[in-house]
Amino acid sequence: MTRFVVNRVAGMLLVLFLVCLFTYMVFFLLSPDPAVQICGKNCTPERIDQIRENLGLTDPFLTQFWNFLSGLFAGRTYGGGIECAAPCLGYSFQTSQLVTDMIVQRLPVTAVVAIGAAVLWLLMGVIGGLLSAVQEGKFADKFIAGLTLGGMSVPNYVLALALQYVFVVWLQVLPFSQAVPFADDPVQWFLNFILPWSVLAIGYAASYTRLTRANVIDTLNENFVRTAKAKGLRPDLVWRRHALRPALTPIVTIAGMDFAGLLGGALITETVFGINGVGKLAADSITKNDQPVIMGVTLLAAFFVVVGNMVVDLLYSVIDPRVKAGAPA
Amino acid sequence: MSQLLKANGLSVSFGAAKVVDEISFGVPRGGTLGIVGESGSGKSMTSLAIMGLLPKGGKREGSLDFDGTELTALSEPQMRAVRGDRIAMVFQDPLSSLNPYYTVGTQIAEAYRSHRSGVSRKAAKQAAIEAMERVHIREAGRRVDDYPHQFSGGMRQRVMIAMALSTDPELIIADEPTTALDVTVQAQILELLAEVQRDTGAALILITHDLAVVSEVADELIVMRHGKVVETGSAEQIFSDPQHSYTQALLDAVPRIDDSIGELRTTGGKA
Ligand SMILES: Nc1ncnc2c1ncn2[C@@H]1O[C@H](COP(=O)(O)OP(=O)(O)OP(=O)(O)O)[C@@H](O)[C@H]1O
Ligand SMILES: [Mg+2]
Repeated sequence: MTRFVVNRVAGMLLVLFLVCLFTYMVFFLLSPDPAVQICGKNCTPERIDQIRENLGLTDPFLTQFWNFLSGLFAGRTYGGGIECAAPCLGYSFQTSQLVTDMIVQRLPVTAVVAIGAAVLWLLMGVIGGLLSAVQEGKFADKFIAGLTLGGMSVPNYVLALALQYVFVVWLQVLPFSQAVPFADDPVQWFLNFILPWSVLAIGYAASYTRLTRANVIDTLNENFVRTAKAKGLRPDLVWRRHALRPALTPIVTIAGMDFAGLLGGALITETVFGINGVGKLAADSITKNDQPVIMGVTLLAAFFVVVGNMVVDLLYSVIDPRVKAGAPA
Repeated sequence: MSQLLKANGLSVSFGAAKVVDEISFGVPRGGTLGIVGESGSGKSMTSLAIMGLLPKGGKREGSLDFDGTELTALSEPQMRAVRGDRIAMVFQDPLSSLNPYYTVGTQIAEAYRSHRSGVSRKAAKQAAIEAMERVHIREAGRRVDDYPHQFSGGMRQRVMIAMALSTDPELIIADEPTTALDVTVQAQILELLAEVQRDTGAALILITHDLAVVSEVADELIVMRHGKVVETGSAEQIFSDPQHSYTQALLDAVPRIDDSIGELRTTGGKA
């Protein structure tokens, strides 16, 4: 078990390192000179040189990358005396705020979006999948199949705009979103999230419905389910112990990974609904070409995905006795 | 010997396809009925029809008299009380027939508990250990907490047999219990079934496509083909004087597995 964990953590660090290297190369070598950007319109060549010096842009690539990496773990001080504590992701060219601070401020709301969406899509997906598995080939199954096809084929932004139009503008059952702290007005806070949760959940719910249906139907055809029936077990026990557990275990683990992916921010949904989370931060910094922020958000997303994968793998070795921790993956 | 189970005009059909066609047979109390036939002849459907566990779309007709009870007339809850308690089943592929998510002890105890109300978890586990000891699984007290994938094929089939005998059934149906196993352990499993039968007095339906195997242990034999019984009688009768060319063909295939017969004899299989 320990070796398994050590291996996984080492692998995870390697992946994160490669992601760092790659994004650093893309953002800092292939994009326009940040010094020019920071300097603005009325800019003298001397001033540009000064900024380059402060940012360390005159150093060779490897030195720059090394400074970036060590900044992540130990923090760094930029020329001109700007302090950046670990994990240092640099500072925004636009607002001069530290990227780490900008992200940390926005993480909680993104987490709320992700958690709510995950709960919703798991509920919809598992219930829908079970229902269609039980009703296989009947009306309910076909009806749900139609819904899932729709849910999978409508793009997120279309769904977001459509739902917003229907529920906010037309039916007016939901308010325009406005940022309120939970403590001030819990009801308004909750109403704010209903649409973003739904928009995110619907796409996932559709694929989870299909997955659940397929898994349950496959499992019900397993020989061990026949054995359970041959024992004279009550049908509810056959279902609970012998059908649901094997059918749903992989779904829960996949949900873990999808959830981790969402923690990196839901770009479109957050932007459409004006939620000031990590996703909106990413979208804003892309339009403003604010490279350190884009890079910070990218690394954060990669971090969550990689860690999420590892946690799921570890969990799996606990849930499924056949997966021996320590066996080569 | 009086009959424990009598099938009369038993049929199984899927839509228009009659995969078991009005067959009749009897299982002597405490004795062994062998059902032989090539793949697809309807052996498994016959056994599942007795259990009331036909796959979706399968329809059962005819009569099944089990110790005076007409099985075909039982409601599902009544049949459930028979299943696993009075009639137990051992399937062909022990790996896929065991749930990978639960320890073998849990799965044996599950059979035991579901037919005895008020049995504690602990007592059921003890019963599972005893059942495992009866099928000669060494260190049963420790292995009871192991998962199916930690056992070899032969050991898994022993677990299945332990599960079947844990409830002291009157009838055990073994559907090709050795087909998925190594040749070397096939004889051991057959010997074990014979031993269980000797010890418990349970009747046995042994299904196989291997005539040599069944001739060693069966009192009565039916030979099936295309859903019909083409030959019926005692093992000796059929061996010495096969009436049907199909049986003759099956017999001709016997020398191929002479070795396993020899082994069975020397290890004290029921002659
Ligand atoms: N679910 C089903 N629907 C329709 N036909 C089926 C179904 N299951 C089995 N059959 C058919 O029933 C017939 C008898 O099958 P069965 O499984 O009883 O054969 P078997 O004698 O046990 O063969 P084997 O030695 O391969 O186990 C076969 O022709 C098979 O195609
Ligand atoms: Mg069969």
